[in-house]
Amino acid sequence: MSALELCNLSRQFDGLTAVDDVSFSVNPGKITGLIGPNGAGKTTVVNLISGFLLPTRGCIHLYGEDISRIEPAHVARKGIARTFQNIRLLKEASVLDNVVSGFHRHERSSWWSSLFGTPAARQETSEFREQAAELLSRFNMLQFANLPAGNLSYGHQRRVEMMRALATQPRLLLLDEPVAGMNDREADALGEIFKRLAKDGLAILLIEHNMRFVMSLCEELHVLDAGRLIASGEPYAVRAQAAVVAAYLGG
Amino acid sequence: MSNFILGHLSLFELVLVCSILGYSQYIVLRAGVFSMATAGFASIGAYTAALLSVRIDSPLWVGLLAAATIGALAGAILAWPLARLRGVFQAIATLAFVQIVISIGLYWESMTGGALGLNGIPKLVHFGHLLLVMSMVLYVLITLSRTGIGRAFDIIRQDETVAVSLGISVVKYQRLAFVLSGVLGGLGGGLMAYRNYSLVPEDFGFPLLISALSFVVLGGRIAVFGPLVGALILTLLPELARPLADYRLAVNGVLMLLAIIYWPYGVVDTLSLHWRQRRAVRTQVEARS
Repeated sequence: MSALELCNLSRQFDGLTAVDDVSFSVNPGKITGLIGPNGAGKTTVVNLISGFLLPTRGCIHLYGEDISRIEPAHVARKGIARTFQNIRLLKEASVLDNVVSGFHRHERSSWWSSLFGTPAARQETSEFREQAAELLSRFNMLQFANLPAGNLSYGHQRRVEMMRALATQPRLLLLDEPVAGMNDREADALGEIFKRLAKDGLAILLIEHNMRFVMSLCEELHVLDAGRLIASGEPYAVRAQAAVVAAYLGG
Repeated sequence: MSNFILGHLSLFELVLVCSILGYSQYIVLRAGVFSMATAGFASIGAYTAALLSVRIDSPLWVGLLAAATIGALAGAILAWPLARLRGVFQAIATLAFVQIVISIGLYWESMTGGALGLNGIPKLVHFGHLLLVMSMVLYVLITLSRTGIGRAFDIIRQDETVAVSLGISVVKYQRLAFVLSGVLGGLGGGLMAYRNYSLVPEDFGFPLLISALSFVVLGGRIAVFGPLVGALILTLLPELARPLADYRLAVNGVLMLLAIIYWPYGVVDTLSLHWRQRRAVRTQVEARS
């Protein structure tokens, strides 16, 4: 079963059709790319999937379950995690606390036990902190654990945002331009992480501008232009298509 | 020091009552809700507690429990229409709530005594009771900060979009913040009633609302001890600087201005931020060497 399936998805803003009849699917264990020029509707697609926008027509299925009309916090609890085009961290909070915040979906203790500090609630908190520390050490970030997240370099902030998304233990990861503003070396280091995650069975939808990066990671590529899907398939085949060249790559 | 405290016992009682109202304001701000409803909750709680003791002679803890419960109820009801509002619109709507509560106090004479208020309320609350209530409040606030609710509040306050993307239901948590604010506000009001001998509706108007807000702004919005320190400074300062007592409001105003300009995070948060940054620098240096 595909992790994510979009069927004839459309979204209109008054007269403007930002996303027009888009259908494709994202499979577990693979990185699927979505590219397109500025204003093609990529971010609108991400916002539709994560529930921040409601589709005008069409549907969105997550592992066979229709999620097109449920509210965004509920979508997140179903197992969709995302990173943002402009990094959004809790800048005053420590790196560790930022990652711990990702575990919210897995909280089991009730409000009462949180208010009165029952042993179960305390235990849960310390378990989350341990798991967050494990995640940090997996990405070689443990030495930054107690720094305010806002003090880190851009590349490291990206990693923290990624780890927070992973802390939710998602079934689908949406990456909205994760390497924007990074140099090739930093981007490739992050790319290796994405590959490893996909190999472990995660479904990843990568929205990206950097063509070189996309070609090196994705096994399947979809091209949006003016809200329509103009090409889909294996990356090198897609790149060769005339329509893609005209719309996106130029000359 | 202990002589000073004994000599000024009633002053320290006032500090404790004020800081409980400060905590009612603090908890909503912590969850990113710009609510001004504390004065309204305090009014409802105070009248509930006062009426219970004047009319049916109920004991202290029954009165306080009732005040807190009815405050919680008011918070839960108020949260309903406010769930869709944000920021300054929440502030205006909750200001309207405070006004409505004042008008009810003025016009429902058979119950509240109208503009003359309620008199002859027995003084049931003493310093020991206040210390006990305050330590319970602090205990709950500190544990809440260290567990799931505090985390959710902190995320919502800093970035609502992130909160939603992590699966946190913002409306549910902000409703909880309103209820907690109602509990603390009602409790604070009840304590006021059992300390002040009398109540009039205007006790719970704009001045109370502003002072609850200023305890939090001056003391700090994040650290649990912020509002307590704020209330301590703003209540004790005019007493320590007796010659300035006549200019109390002006002194408070100047103090607030200075705090907002130079210590925008409030006393406690600025200090803890400073301390955390120093520690961060130290760990970085250690990591390098």
